[in-house]
This record gives sequence, structure tokens and C-alpha cells, in this order.
Amino acid sequence: MSHPLIETKLFLPSPRPGLMPRPRLRERLDRGLAAKLMLVSAPAGFGKTTLLVDWLASAPPRAGTSARAAWLALDAADNDPARFWRYVVAALRTAVPGAGEGALALFGDSQPPPVEMVLTTLVNELAAVDADIILVLDDYHVIDSPSVHEGMAFLLAHLPARLHVVLATRSDPHLPLPRLRARGDLVEVRAADLRFTTEEAASYLNGVMGLELGAADVRALEGRTEGWIAALQLAALSMTGREDVSAFIVGFTGDDRYVVDYLVEEVLQRLPAEVQDFLLRTSVLDRMNGSLCNALTGRADGRSVLETLERDNLFVVPLDDRRHWYRYHHLFADVLRGRLLDERPGLMDELHTTAATWHEQEGDIAEAIQHSLLAKDFTRAARLVETVLAAFRRDRREATLRGWLEAMPERVLRSHPVLGNALAGARMSTGAFDGVDELLDATQEWLRSGEYQPMVASHASAVEDEEYRRLPADLAVHRAGIALVRGDIEETVAQARAALDQVGEDDHVTRGAAYALGGLAAWSTGDLDTAHASYAACLVEFELVDHVSDVLGCSITLGDLEVVQGRLRQAARTYRSALDLADRHHAPVLRGRADMHVGLAARHRETNDLTAARRELSRSRELGEHAGLPQDAYRWRVVMAGIREAEGDVEAAIDLLDEAERLYVGDFSPPVRPVAAVRARTWARHGFVDAALDWADGVGLSLDDPLTYLREFEHLTFAKVLVAEYARRGDGGDLSHVVAFLDGLLLVAVEGRRGGSVIEIQVTRALALQQLGDLPEALHALGAAVASAEPEGYVRTLVDEGAPMATLLLAAERHAPSAYIGRLRSALVPASTSGTPSSPSRPGSADGMPVDPLSSREREVLRLLDTELNGPEIARELVVSLNTVRTHTKNLYMKLGVTSRRAAVLRGKELDLL
Amino acid sequence: MDEPHTATGPVSDPGWYRIRVQGRLEKRWSTWFDGMSLTPERDGTTVLRGRVGDQAALHGLIKKVGDLGLTLLEVTHETPDTSAGPRR
Repeated sequence: MSHPLIETKLFLPSPRPGLMPRPRLRERLDRGLAAKLMLVSAPAGFGKTTLLVDWLASAPPRAGTSARAAWLALDAADNDPARFWRYVVAALRTAVPGAGEGALALFGDSQPPPVEMVLTTLVNELAAVDADIILVLDDYHVIDSPSVHEGMAFLLAHLPARLHVVLATRSDPHLPLPRLRARGDLVEVRAADLRFTTEEAASYLNGVMGLELGAADVRALEGRTEGWIAALQLAALSMTGREDVSAFIVGFTGDDRYVVDYLVEEVLQRLPAEVQDFLLRTSVLDRMNGSLCNALTGRADGRSVLETLERDNLFVVPLDDRRHWYRYHHLFADVLRGRLLDERPGLMDELHTTAATWHEQEGDIAEAIQHSLLAKDFTRAARLVETVLAAFRRDRREATLRGWLEAMPERVLRSHPVLGNALAGARMSTGAFDGVDELLDATQEWLRSGEYQPMVASHASAVEDEEYRRLPADLAVHRAGIALVRGDIEETVAQARAALDQVGEDDHVTRGAAYALGGLAAWSTGDLDTAHASYAACLVEFELVDHVSDVLGCSITLGDLEVVQGRLRQAARTYRSALDLADRHHAPVLRGRADMHVGLAARHRETNDLTAARRELSRSRELGEHAGLPQDAYRWRVVMAGIREAEGDVEAAIDLLDEAERLYVGDFSPPVRPVAAVRARTWARHGFVDAALDWADGVGLSLDDPLTYLREFEHLTFAKVLVAEYARRGDGGDLSHVVAFLDGLLLVAVEGRRGGSVIEIQVTRALALQQLGDLPEALHALGAAVASAEPEGYVRTLVDEGAPMATLLLAAERHAPSAYIGRLRSALVPASTSGTPSSPSRPGSADGMPVDPLSSREREVLRLLDTELNGPEIARELVVSLNTVRTHTKNLYMKLGVTSRRAAVLRGKELDLL
Repeated sequence: MDEPHTATGPVSDPGWYRIRVQGRLEKRWSTWFDGMSLTPERDGTTVLRGRVGDQAALHGLIKKVGDLGLTLLEVTHETPDTSAGPRR
């Protein structure tokens, strides 16, 4: 990991000596271990952190085991989800070393892992840990990023039993609190609970601080501070070592000034002038050590002052065991900052500038950028951001970049076009396309104005120089990306080409991105040769820089293209070499790996090696969800549906396709094989022609459609459905139109050199011509299909067509026998599985038992058909989709040999199924 | 997230606001509250008033109230006319 974690964020503070025990609150927190979430929600200075530290230190062994604490102090930079979850995993690893290995590995990817995937992995890993873990997220109020909140809500919804989450916050978090509360999953400690009671105030002031105050004085102080702990602490500090304690109390309780203001003034007045100055100057720091303090004070005693402050209880909190890093109590720091702004206007910016310089010298560029922005020193911030751009982009920290860049005035972005361009990229990659065009236009304008060369010369650093050199190509990649999002293929191709013209030979990431964008655009137009060449080039570029996940991503697309081209063997090689590469490079499981096995499974299925296909699907599943790209879940089910169908279990196949449709996630790839069309083919092959026709109607298909590659799969499906409809009705009708439509599809596929499509179209033509009664032409078409299909080992594309194909193959064998046709014919004899033959499964006879026994689900549906419930109500009753109910209904109609609900119920009663 | 420096964010809603908090806050806090004027009232509360750039700035001010642990009593929107007029 190139960005080291800040260890102090993970430091579990030790309880201060002489801490006042608060048993009522400890008990409540103990109870919280049975809930999902403990929320400690109160304003600044209510002792939230102190309470949790005390509780964790005092925690007795619970239920025979001792809970382990994982502590994370959040800051505003944690609104970047990538950073937030990396720190959460790191915190958990302080409690359970080695935990979350898989989740951590996901961050090593060059593609940003979806948060859900990280969390799913993490939850599974933590569920296996044999210990109670208490995860404390302190200062959760700094989080305002919706994606972090969503991730937290997801984590809470899937929380392992032995993980306990504690949030300490000044404001209630954006989480489903009412629901958690209603289910008893939330235990809260709020301001009213945290306030010191009079008894607690007495025991604190007299017991812990040793002030020996009378009951009336304690009550007066408690009243004036309203039990606010920070104020009571300040008051105690003001009174310590004072002779006129009573006078102080009278003065304080008789004053109506903002209580902290009054008390800080009291405390400061009693400190030496140089310590007052130290406090004011260093108040601008969120974290400090001696050396950093010295830079801000111009003195050399930073370390010893910090130690003195800690000893005197002056609101400094140690952030590590070595007394190296400290921070101020937040409320105290804010009050000091308020005074600084008032007393030394202008000094604040100067201090931030000094802090930026110190951090830059220490090599902590992120902190230096933060302070430069606070100092409003945008020139420096811009220069610093330029130096870390490449690293932050590589680590997918675009949200952080976006935050910094959006804090800069527009003029700065305009004069630093690399930054304007980077902001465009960061916005696009975080899903925001607003204002992107304007930013890209500004960059382009600047490039055109010719300021380019002199600026490069004036930039000293090689890193920045590199950024400026790759600007034109990077700009073109962004333009191509946004054009693709808008569906403007021509512009995508043009910009991708422009990027390739301008990019340096050694800038492999930009080259890879440009090739991929060009490839996608070519794919959408059906120019598969160009698409394939682009993707092959893209793969090489990513391989050169070891972006293995990207290589896997490219391989899926390459494999898809090769299948459409009819190069099944090459597709299998593509998947295998990607797997080899992944094996060579990375120990942890890489995203995209599972997809390779799914691709191989699909190839095995096509060659009718169902055992091998199932084996690959199991391997894919064994790797776990995080090994798959987002598309893997639905693709896996589509392939499994094909296997089940081949084994004769049509119902299971349809259920899997229903699931696949629900799980479908798009990416940039054109949706050339919609799941709904795959399902319509399955329906048509197994007698559910009406459902298939409904589908065609729903997606608006017609024989007059223009023939584009994007709809080729749907068009071919439509033709198959019409052929099945003809077979069902048995009249000639429009079938000659269907053949003409198929002729058109064939021509376009041949022109586009889509060999795989050609085979499928010829198979369908052969079946249509057979139905039309033109056997010689049918055999001719089949012969053409077989000639291309045999060398690549196709089986299922032909055999899936069932009975009509059996007839045709028989005729072909008589006409010109061959070993391949013999193989195809034997594949049509049902496989020896538990299922039933895939064909011909026409409705059962009117007497005797149905052809196939009803499944338990079908019996349930049948039972509900014998009620008043309508389709949607039945679906709700069974908690399935309406589509699934329809499928079950059609299946059981077929098995019972009926065509109506009434007939199904009657038949069910005859057969004692009801 | 708010993007104050771009024109593409939500339409800004400029206007004058009064924010009332519990306790007497001295004038010195004016800078902290982005230059809002601070007026202590007889009832032991303090009214912050001034022009607020947009909703994001208003939320920022309210957060600053919270950072100091002050009790927020009231936030009201005023039109510039009434605020410019003579007071009581």
C-alpha cells in the first residue's frame, strides 16, 4: 500500500489516572453488547471518548471471553470511502491480527472495489473470528459522505454476531436509527445521560480534583455548567491552587457569559505568557508533536511544553504510547481558535502555511495540502496536488482528490489545467458528470492557447512535467469516456483515436484506457474485428504495468467477442491465459478470476461437457463473491440455466434466468445478450410460446426492424419464437417472411464477420425451412452451419433445438453421414441425469398421470389456483415474482395437458393433486 | 457534496438569518462566526445575525454553534428590508 496509515488514528487511549468511575453508564454499555449498535451521541465536551476509554479498560470478561477493542478516530478525510474502509479494516486488525485479509486484498486492485463487495468479504471473514470485537468509531460526526453512511448501514444490516459497533458522535448519524431502536438493536447514551449529576459533580470536584467544596458550592457549579463535563473540568482547573475559591465561584456563577469562554479565560490568565502563546498558535493543528509545535512557535521547547500540558490536565490528549503525538481536546481547540481569530487576525493563515511547509518537508503531502488549503495558499496546494495526482489516481482515491480540487477557486483550476482535467476525471469516476464538459473545455482552451511549452519549462519537478506531458492524451480519454456515457459512438471512437495519437509509448495506463474505450465503441457498432484488436492491445498495455485485474476485465470482453466471432477454442485460450497470469502475479484472489471460470464453463457447456461446465462453475463459486466482477453473479446463473436445461430441468433453468435478470448489472459493454431474450428462447423451445411472444411484444420487435448488431441476439430470438409458433399452429402463415428476415440477418452477420452468429442463424434458418416444407434448402442451411460448427466443437447450439433438430439431423445423416452428425444425434438422446428429456416434452396425454410429476412449487401454485387469488396475489403469497408464478403455471399446465386455470384445477383434482 | 465554487450546484438561497443561542457570547466570537453580528439579549441569550451566502454556509454556521457546545434555540430567516429597518 503506497499510502501509509496514520497509526495515531488507531491508537486506543489509556484511561487517565484518577478517572471517575460511572457505573450507571458502564452497565448500559455492557447491555449494548447484546445490541447491534451502541450510539454515544452528545455535543462537544460531554466526555464521550473518556466514557468509552474507561469502559473498554474496565470491561470484565463477558460470557467467558474477553472482548477485544478496535479503535478508530475519524477525521474529515475519512469521507473518502476507500480511505474510511481501509482504516476500519486496519482498526479491526489491531484487535484481531490477520483479520480482513481478503477485504484488504481488494484495496490492492486497480479498479475500485464496490463497497458492498469489500463489506461482504469483511463480514464473512469476521464471522469466522472466534472472539468478540468492539469496534469504536470516534468522532463519527465528521462523516457526511452518503456512500460511507450507506456502507455503515449495510454493515449493520449484515453484522456478524460477535462484532459490536460503537459510534461516538456529536450529531445523530444518517443510519436507520428508528428501525434499530424499534427492534431493540440500538443502545444509546445521550447528553442527558452523560451530564454529571450533583453527586457525580461532588465526587469529581472533591474526590478526583481534591477541592473540598461545600454542598452549596457544588450545586452552584453544577447549576452554572448544567453538568457539562468540559466546563466542570475547566472550572476545577481554574480553582486548583487558588486561595479565593469562594470568590471564584461567586464570580463564575454570577456571570452569564458563555461558560467555556469565561473559564478558558480564567485558565489562560493563570498561565505564563509563553504558554498562552503556545496554546493559541498550536490550536490550528489537528495533530501535533514537539517538532511541529516548534515550527509554529519559533521556539525549541515544544516537546516539554506538551508534556507539561498533559501533566497539568490542560486538555491535551496523547495519541500514542510514546508521548510523541498529541491533540487538543476538540472543544478546547475550537475555543482557542476562536480567540486566535479575534486577537491575531491574519495569523491563522500564516500558521497554516508554516504547518504546510513542515508537513511537506516531512513528506506528508496530504497533510501539507490540507493546511495549504486552510491557509488559502492555493498556489502551493495546486503544486502539491499535482505531485500526488498519479499516485492517488492509481490508488483510486478520487474522492479525496475531488474534495481538494473542489476547495480550490475556479481561477486556480483554470491556470493549472492538469488539475482541472484531474477534477473532471475524479468527478466522472465518482459518478458526477456535472460541470465536466466545462472543465474539459477549459483544459482544451489552455492547450490551444499555446501556453503549454513555457509552463512545462517552468515546472521543475519531473512528476509534474510528466503530468503536463500526458495532458492532451488524458483529456481525450476523458472526452471519450463521457461520449460513451452519452452513447455518442462516433465521438468516442474519434477521441479514443486522438488519445492514442498523442499518448507516450510508455504511458500504458492511458493507452490501455484509450484502447478499451475505442474497443467498446467498435463493439457497439458490430465492428468486432476492430473491437477485438483494440481489446487485445488494451490487454497488452495493462499486462505491461501489472494491472492484473484490468487484464482479467479485458479478457472477459475478449472472450465474449471471440464467442460471437465463432472462435470458441480461442475464447477458452483467452480465459486460460488470463488465469495463468493471475496465478503468476498475485497470491490473494483477484477480482475477475471467478469470471474466467464462468467463461470456461460456458465453453464446456457448448461442447456438451456438462460435468466440466459444472466443475468450472463450482470453482468460480468457491473463490467467493469478491473474486467476481459485478457482472459475475448474473452471468454465472445464465450458464447454470443452460446446464440445467441441457439436463432436462427446464423449471430450474427458468428460475435461474429469473434470478439472473434480477441480478443483472450493466457495465460499459453493450447489452448484446439480454437475459430476457435468453429466457424467451428457453420458453420457445419448451412449448411456452405465448410467454415468448409476450416478451417479443414487450420489447417491441418486428420483422421490419433495421438490422443492427446491438439487436441481433433479440432478432434471432424473435425468429426462433415465430418458428415455434408456426410449429404449434401448424399453418404456413408468415413463415416465408421469417425466412426472409433470417436471410437478412445472415447477410449482415456474414458482412460483420460474426462466425458464431452465422452458425446460430443458419441453424434457425434450417428449422424454419424445414417447417416450410423445403427440406433440400433446410439441409443446405444445416450443412453450412455444421461446416463451421464442427471445427470449433459446437454441440448445444444445435442440440438445444430438440425434436425438430432431431428430425433434421436424421435426414442429414441419410443424405450425407458423418461422425460429427452422429455425435450430435447421440447428444440428443437425453443425458442420464435425474432430470427429464429436454425434448420433445409436449403436454401429457389426457388420461393417466402427467408426463412429469409436479414439483413441490408447482403443487403449491396449483393449490393457490384453486383459490380466489389472482396472479400478483399468488406471487405475494409465495414471495416470488409474478414472472416466476407464470413460469410455474405454464409448466404445470403443460404437465397436466391443460390450457386454463379451471381445467388445471379440475385435472389436479382428478389426479388427487389437490 | 456541496460544490460552492461551481455554478452547477443547487441554486443558492442568499438571505439574512438570525440564530439565537443560549448564553451570552462576547463580540470577539464574531470572526469565528464568519462576521455575523452578536447581540446579547436581556433574557441571557445571544442573537447572531448577518447575511449567509447559501444553505451550505448556513449549515456550516450551525455546525460551529455545535462545535462550541452552545445550545441552539432558534434559526429564523429575515428579508434584508426588515433587518435594515430600525430596531425596537
